[in-house]
Order: sequence, then C-alpha cells, then structure tokens
Amino acid sequence: MSSKTLKLPEAGQWPDKLVAPALIAGAVLTTIGFLMAFFYVAPVGGATVNGAELIGDVMVSQKMLLSQKIFYFHMPVAITSFLALGFGCYYAVRFLMTKNRRFDTCSRICLEIALLFVVLTMITGEMWTRFEWGVWWSWEPRLTTYLILMLIVIAYFVLRSSVDEPERRATFAAVVAIIATIDVPICFMITRLIPSSIHPVVLREGGMSPEMGLCVGLCALGMMLVGFALYRARFNQVRLTQRVDALKETLDDER
Amino acid sequence: MNPAITVEHLTKSFGGRKAVDNVSFTLPEGAFLSVFGPNGAGKTTLLRMLATLARPTEGAITLAGINLKEEPEQAREAIGLISHNPMLYPDLTAEENLLLYAKLYGVRDPQKRVVELLDAVGLKHRRLDRVRTFSRGMTQRVSIARALVNDPSVVLLDEPYSGLDPHAMRIFDELIDSVRENRTFVMVSHDLDKGLALASHVLVLARGRVVHFGEKDQMSPDEFADLYRTTVGMGVS
Amino acid sequence: MERESECRTAERGGTRSTLCKAPSTWTQYKTLLAKDLKAEFRTKDMVVSMGIYAFLVIVVFGVALSFARPGAEFLEVSGGLLWALVVFTSLLGLNRSFAKETENGCLEGLLLAPLDRGVIFLAKATSNLVFLVLVEVIAVPLYWVFFSSFAAPAETGWLLVAPLVLGSIGIAGIGTMLSTITAATRGKDVMLALLFVPVIFPLLYACVSATTCALVGGDVFADGFLTSLALGAGYDVVMILASWVLYDFVVN
Repeated sequence: MSSKTLKLPEAGQWPDKLVAPALIAGAVLTTIGFLMAFFYVAPVGGATVNGAELIGDVMVSQKMLLSQKIFYFHMPVAITSFLALGFGCYYAVRFLMTKNRRFDTCSRICLEIALLFVVLTMITGEMWTRFEWGVWWSWEPRLTTYLILMLIVIAYFVLRSSVDEPERRATFAAVVAIIATIDVPICFMITRLIPSSIHPVVLREGGMSPEMGLCVGLCALGMMLVGFALYRARFNQVRLTQRVDALKETLDDER
Repeated sequence: MNPAITVEHLTKSFGGRKAVDNVSFTLPEGAFLSVFGPNGAGKTTLLRMLATLARPTEGAITLAGINLKEEPEQAREAIGLISHNPMLYPDLTAEENLLLYAKLYGVRDPQKRVVELLDAVGLKHRRLDRVRTFSRGMTQRVSIARALVNDPSVVLLDEPYSGLDPHAMRIFDELIDSVRENRTFVMVSHDLDKGLALASHVLVLARGRVVHFGEKDQMSPDEFADLYRTTVGMGVS
Repeated sequence: MERESECRTAERGGTRSTLCKAPSTWTQYKTLLAKDLKAEFRTKDMVVSMGIYAFLVIVVFGVALSFARPGAEFLEVSGGLLWALVVFTSLLGLNRSFAKETENGCLEGLLLAPLDRGVIFLAKATSNLVFLVLVEVIAVPLYWVFFSSFAAPAETGWLLVAPLVLGSIGIAGIGTMLSTITAATRGKDVMLALLFVPVIFPLLYACVSATTCALVGGDVFADGFLTSLALGAGYDVVMILASWVLYDFVVN
C-alpha cells in the first residue's frame, strides 16, 4: 500500500490568537456600557403604546422607568444573536456549495452562539416586560420574533442529533439554517405590519439621544467581541476533537 | 473496444473518513463485475456513485461514454439499478408501477414495453394486481422489469439475493442470464459462490481501497478464497 | 417540447438505449402527480384519517369552549381556532404522505430517473395541496356547523376562502420540503412539528388575521384583510421559491 498523506482537519489558525484579546476587550466594553447605562445616560421615558391599552388589567400609556435600562443589554444581545444566525447562514450556504465539512462545523458553532445569545435576549426581554408592563409575556412583534428564532435554533440542534449519517446531517442542518435566516425577518415584518389588538406595536420614543446611542453601541460592540471570542474558542475545541478522531481512525487502519 | 465503465481515482470522503479511497478500474463492455468485501468496505457507496445517487468527492466515472459528473441526467437513461429495495409503490399494480417509470424515462410506446417486460419475467398474468399482494420473489422479479424498462446498457445490482428463497434465486438467475447479452453488469453481493459463478471480472474492496481487481480466470478459486478470507479478516471494526 | 437525448449517437461507446428519450418536465410532473393521486385514491387512507382527525379536533374544541358564552367576541377567536385545526391536520398528512415514498425505497427509484429534482418537489407539493384542500372542504363546513350557535359571521365571512387557499399553498410547499428532511430522521413526527411550527408562524399569523377580518367584517375587515392577504402571498412566494431551490440538496 502506498504511503498515505494524512489529511487532518485544520485548526489553530491566526484568528485563535485574537481570542484572548477579544474576550478581554468585550468584557471591558460591556462593563463600561453597564456603568454608562446607570450613571451616564439619563432615564428615559418608557415605551408609548399606540393609544392607552389594557395590559395585564392595568391601563398603560407611558411609563418613566429605571427598568428601561435593561434595553442596553437586551438590544446588544439581540443584535449579536441575529449576527450569529447570519453567519451561520453564510457558512451553511458555503457548505452546500462545497460540501467541505469545515463549513458545517463553522455553521454549527455560529448557531450555538446564536442559541446562547437568543436565550439571553429572551431572559432580558422577559425581565423587561415584567418590570415595564407588569406581565410576564406579551405577544408583541419583537418578543414573538425572538421566540420563533429560539424555537428554530432548538429544532436545528434536535435535528442534528437525530440524523446519524454525517454528510446528511450537515446537509439538512445547512438547509434548516438557511430557512431560519429567511424566516426570522419575515416573521418580524409580518407581525409588525399587521395591526392587532393583543399584539400591540410598541412604539419607542422616536430616535435615541446621542448618549443612549453611544451606550448601546458600546455594549453591542462588546457583546459582538465576546461572541466572536466564544465562537473561535469553541471552534478550536471542536476542530481539535475532530483531529483526534481522524488520528484514531488512522491508527485503526494501521492495525 | 470501448470500455463500458471507467473509474479513475474515485474517492468519497467527509471530514476525515474515506468511504471510498482512490479506486480505479476499467470494465469492458459486456463484462460482469462482482464486487466483494467486508461490511463497510465501501461497496454500496461505490455502487451508488455509479448509479449517480451519490456524488464523489474526487475522481471521475465515465459510464457508457458519459462523464457522470458533467451529465448525470443523460447517464441515467443508460443505467438500471436492482437493490434489495424493490422501489415499487405497494398500492399501485405491477403494470402501473412499470408504466410510471416508463413514462418518466420517456420510453416509446410504454404500454407495449411494459406488457413485454412483465411477460419476460413471467408475471403477465398478475399485471393488474397490486404489488402489495406479491411475495418477495415476485416483487424482486417486477423490480428487475423496472430496472430494465429503459433498456439500460449498464445494470447495477446491490445485494439482490437478500430475502429470496432458493427457488426465487434460481428464477432471478435465469432472468439475469436472459438479458446478459450486450449489457454490462456490476453486482455487490455477500454470496461468494453466486458472485463468482456469474462474474467475468472481480473487484475486492476493503476499507474503501482496492485490494484486487482483475478477470476472474486470472486467479484459481482456492487463491481467491484465500484472498477473500484474508480481506474479510481485515474487516472494519 | 421534448428534449432529444444524445445518448443514442454512435460516438458514445457502449450506450444502447434506443428506447428512451427523456420527456419534457411537464410530462414528468404530470406523471408523478398522477401517481400520487392514483395511489392515494386507491386506498384513501391518508385523506380519511386526516378527515377523521379534523373531526376529532373539532370535538376537542367543542369541549374546550363548553363554558364560553355565545356572542360577537367568539368571532374573534374562531378564525384562529380554524387555523389551529388546519395546522394539526396538515402535520398528520405531511408525515404520512412522505412515508409512502420511503416505504419501499421508492424515492430512490425516482432519483434514478432522468428527472430534475425540483419536479419531484413540485409534484409532491401539489399532491399534498390537493389532499389538504379536500380535507378542508369537509372540515371547514363541519367547523361552522358545530360552532354556528356561538355567533353568525359577517357577510364577508365567505371570503375566508382566500386565506385558506393561500395558507394551504404555503403549508403544502414548505411542509413538503420539511417532511422530506424529517422522513430521514429518527423522531419523524415530532421532528416535523418542531421545524414546521416556527417556520410557518408568519404565514399562520397572516392567515389568522385575514380569516378573523373576514369573519368579523365591518371596519376590522376594511383595515386588515387585504394587507394580511398580501403579506401571506409574499411569504408563500419567498418560501416556496427557497424550498424549490434547496430541495435538490435535501432529496439526494
């Protein structure tokens, strides 16, 4: 038998060096944002609902709240989760075009990060709804869209675990990731554009003051860096596991 | 003489695992190739690639003069596959099943061809019965008819004897014999004796790689049995 | 227009097939659709079980609403309940419809033929749509019969046919693709429901809105009906196109 060239899944490339700095930078930015949210940015009027609405047995029109500060964490994690989904879709498309297992791994990890951040979004959204409206859940467009996103990402992972053959699993997962990325914006648009009584289109005061914008921006950037760091670290871990598996198989062959 | 099938450096892998690893061989027209090997050797994967049901990662297959990567659809007109799955709709009659395939392939005068085929496999009298009511042997016979509906020049067989009793096996062999002429066959089977009896060429695979390929007569039956035993002994864990 | 295959030219070595000439896509589509319809109407088991299931769901709704007071407010929920019925029934149908293809490895047989994979999708989606519409034709009047005592719908009530058609098209299209994926997994039925519900959610929302508008009539109708229909149609176009393109990857 001729000598076989060993082709291992590649790992340990340049982005790995950025992990530690990114994580630190992200943590720092998020902390700054946190402090800014409480000490720097003025409290803002809570959301205005179009007309006075009966929510949870209380007439609500406008509230001036400290709980609005949750927004500075809710928005950034939401943005990061969408970003992660977007990258997951990108890698899914590349996988379908090339059938290279590496892209499947990338896509899967992006979806893992998306899951993490969408859960955080749901938690912060839940807290916000509770403190601002006094109810635990309201079927408004954004919360509903996050719920759908969370459900699809969970379904993605259940699907992955119920297909045995690796190439098939990767193909199905890629298709679902693409469908999810198409579906989520549609979901948001449709719930936003169709007026309904129990799904109040919650209007925020037009525009954000510069301090608010800065705070959100910093937090968002911080979260994205954390997200990237987590992605890269996990990718590294998974790739090393795949390398070990490939080596094991080669040893099996030799025997 | 034009080769019926040319396989060059065929590889099918995903991640690190190679199901088929650098397989190459050339099969002349009219040959009957029996493929042997332990479980997991890549025989079925190879056959599926020949049938255009799976795409290779590397390498090329030229079948009946057509490059499978470039023109898989046209190649399909020249291929027939018989596997342990009959690929017949149980609620349709034998005739309806064959008509379906005949129309999908665009066979000229489908009705006549279907009756002809059912006659050839000895089931013309059952053509209006649902496939659900057939025995395994009868279903396999209709499956042969299905595979031949487009008059393929290459016939692929994937463990066709599984689930057949000896009587049905004999009928199957007779049918294959009757359509042998001018067709190239590739069969994957665990049945060493049957495989060798029908074969003109032999391919032995283990862990996706070619262990032996050549004309049957190049080796004596004992040598071959030895090789087979050693290869199966190399089996995949 | 038939595609003349070149498989019979003398230059190609070894090809002997003189019988076949790959037919047009339309012929192949018709053949596949006819096959689905024929196989189903021979046994009718899918349509019958979907019909009975729909009836049972209506009975469950009946119990669920036992203590609700009749009145105009009922119309606001009846649209939604009708769509819940449609979703549950179509989940049942989609699972069974694809099971037929995987039963005897028939799908492989189709893949062996010189077919564009998209044709398989279109034929399957069409047959799923036909079966779903058939069941709806029975279930919707039945639903009205059982709940007519609660409230009378507005004159625009009959317009709910429009969202029903739109919704059924979307459900059949995206459902066919998802059921092809889940037919090859371990937890078939549950897996389909897990994927189906979030993906179909926007369509459902639009269709419920349109149906409620039609049933309630008056101002509500004028406000929302056409917008909802337009959005539902938009969803259908986008998702069915995406399913068609992605089907090739899924079915191989």
